[in-house]
Amino acid sequence: MAIHKIFFASLLICLLFQISHGATKERLFSDLEKGALEVTATPSREGVLDAGIDKLSITWKLSSTATKEAEFTTIKVKLCYAPVSQVDRPWRKTENELFKDKSCPHKIITRPYDKSPQSFEYTLERDIPTGTYFVRAYAVDAKGHEVAFGQSTDEAKSTKLFSVQAISGRHKSLDIASVCFSVFSVLALLVFFVNEKRKAKIEQSK
Amino acid sequence: MAYNEEGSIGTSLHGVTAREQVFSFSVDASSQILQSDDPTAKFTLPVDSEHRAKVFNPLSFAKPHMRAFHLGWISFFTCFISTFAAAPLVPIIRDNLDLTKTDVGNAGVASVSGAIFSRLAMGAVCDLLGARYGTAFSLMLTAPTVFSMSFVTGPVGYLAVRFMIGFCLATFVSCQYWTSVMFNGKIIGLVNGCAGGWGDMGGGVTQLLMPMAFHVIKLAGATPFMAWRIAFFIPGFLQVVVGILVLTLGQDLPDGNLSTLQKSGQVSKDKFSKVFWFAVKNYRTWILFVLYGFSMGIELTINNVISGYFFDRFNLKLQTAGIVAASFGMANFFARPLGGYASDLAARVFGMRGRLWILWIFQTVGALFCIWLGRASSLPIAILAMMLFSIGTQAACGALFGVAPFVSRRSLGLISGLTGAGGNFGSGLTQLIFFSTPRFSTADGLSLMGAMAVLCTVPVAFIHFPQWGSMFLRPSRDGERSKEEYYYGSEWTEDEKRQGLHEGSIKFAENSRSERSRKVALADFPTPETGTPTHV
Repeated sequence: MAIHKIFFASLLICLLFQISHGATKERLFSDLEKGALEVTATPSREGVLDAGIDKLSITWKLSSTATKEAEFTTIKVKLCYAPVSQVDRPWRKTENELFKDKSCPHKIITRPYDKSPQSFEYTLERDIPTGTYFVRAYAVDAKGHEVAFGQSTDEAKSTKLFSVQAISGRHKSLDIASVCFSVFSVLALLVFFVNEKRKAKIEQSK
Repeated sequence: MAYNEEGSIGTSLHGVTAREQVFSFSVDASSQILQSDDPTAKFTLPVDSEHRAKVFNPLSFAKPHMRAFHLGWISFFTCFISTFAAAPLVPIIRDNLDLTKTDVGNAGVASVSGAIFSRLAMGAVCDLLGARYGTAFSLMLTAPTVFSMSFVTGPVGYLAVRFMIGFCLATFVSCQYWTSVMFNGKIIGLVNGCAGGWGDMGGGVTQLLMPMAFHVIKLAGATPFMAWRIAFFIPGFLQVVVGILVLTLGQDLPDGNLSTLQKSGQVSKDKFSKVFWFAVKNYRTWILFVLYGFSMGIELTINNVISGYFFDRFNLKLQTAGIVAASFGMANFFARPLGGYASDLAARVFGMRGRLWILWIFQTVGALFCIWLGRASSLPIAILAMMLFSIGTQAACGALFGVAPFVSRRSLGLISGLTGAGGNFGSGLTQLIFFSTPRFSTADGLSLMGAMAVLCTVPVAFIHFPQWGSMFLRPSRDGERSKEEYYYGSEWTEDEKRQGLHEGSIKFAENSRSERSRKVALADFPTPETGTPTHV
């Protein structure tokens, strides 16, 4: 029963942490200023990019239509899923409430805001899944709240998308270890079985 | 004189003369081999006439009873870890293999479907080869499938491997079979409840173990997409180690290993076709099949979906969702034994009727809390509902296996297998209907599953034993049919009875008089009518 109490206690502690993070729940994506930054993302080569190998050349600068520039403190650049990669995958869903939105989970770079045009050479990380993507840059104010954004694609998220192929995660050493352990398991069982049958036969003939 | 200490009604002096057959299948009395004058002296725990232990001491490792218990539940525990090892890592796996929600759901169905067939086969394997080999086969032949997660590259491979890993859940049957031949009927509810419950805990432990292993392997330098594959070596390795322990330290029956006993003529081999026929012909087997499908079945489903549910609906982190999911499985530590113990307690006063009522109450209450879980929209309420749901459902699993050993003596293994298969069938069915389609949100799926479970628990009212009655009906008043010997003897043909093959069942029948309610037992003094010599 002590175990039960410890579980409840740890659950309550986790709950408290979650609740304390909830102060900024109501901020919505639709409130952000669209197109405040002009963002481009150029793949290093044509075709499907390989995670861990290929690069993206990302640039961002202040757009002429931006109005909230005074609040910009930091720029967060993220890799986001295109709609085709969100189909039948509710864990990548686009939500209006910013804290719930899961469509841009991969961080590329975070930089303090600078008036001049910025660029960054991004090598696709090895944990990027297979899919179709675009790049979005959020402008964040001093309180850590997003106030504006810009993205490398249009509003319908249909142009200038690029595809990434993930690493397989397999490795020859793993394959070999796997085969070795499997063979050992089956052999050990067979050896025991045959041995016991032999011993039982010997018992019977005595 | 080795009397039963509790002075239980109806215990004849079987076992005292040392001339009775004391193994699970009997042979012709003339071919038996005499052992020492008091064969019960070599056991650490007090035993009954079948050499099954009458006392349960979980802190002991003594041969053969307690050792069988510990090896049994640890084997089952290891298999649960392997079968549900993928569930807490799904957020990583779905990215590596580019899975959709449908792919994930289908793999979940596959992970519990394989065991439907393997649990059926395991019942027969135990009856024919013994519990030790049943367990070892299950562990060591499925270990390669766990290791083969290294090779998976897409949804098809993932589904195939989860399907094959799921075969190892057959250890449930071999574990319950092993304890049923090692422990006396009066305590079997508690023993099976502990073995089953502590084994089921594996489903909870894996939700903590795998994310932790994954994290450590990542720290050691592996990329996430490789780390989860390496993590799978842990359950695979555990399976091999436990399999070897079972073979070297375990023993099939209280008096020895099955093959040795069979070869020396002390135990006869039963015919599979007969064993199968009597299991399938008995309608109670099928009611238990459905019942278990909606207690263990929904428990297995929850093992697959609950971590993702808390991760997605309440936006918890992977580790936090894992802790919550683990709590569900860990409640098994006390909840399932509680069910078995409650069943035994109820049997002491109300006999089999008490066992059936306890089963119905726990299962229905658990299912009602499952409905509440789906409706809960705040995290604390959801966790509370989940914990109460887990206790009810897991206790129902324990209570069911307080009833199952009494349904048949001849086909005990196969009935355990069929009931166990029912659990997996229920899980596959509920995952397919409620959690693999975009039609229901996971929350609605949970509530609907609970509602279906309430409905499918009603059939327990139809389980009737002529000698003990049922939930609402009294035992048969017919002089012959109201005897336990009649019920268990009816599994043998007249021919077989003449050869004395049914003696084990008769012995069991006498020991099972404990399932009469206290009122009936006191009023009735049974006379042995089996033809074995009584010592007067």
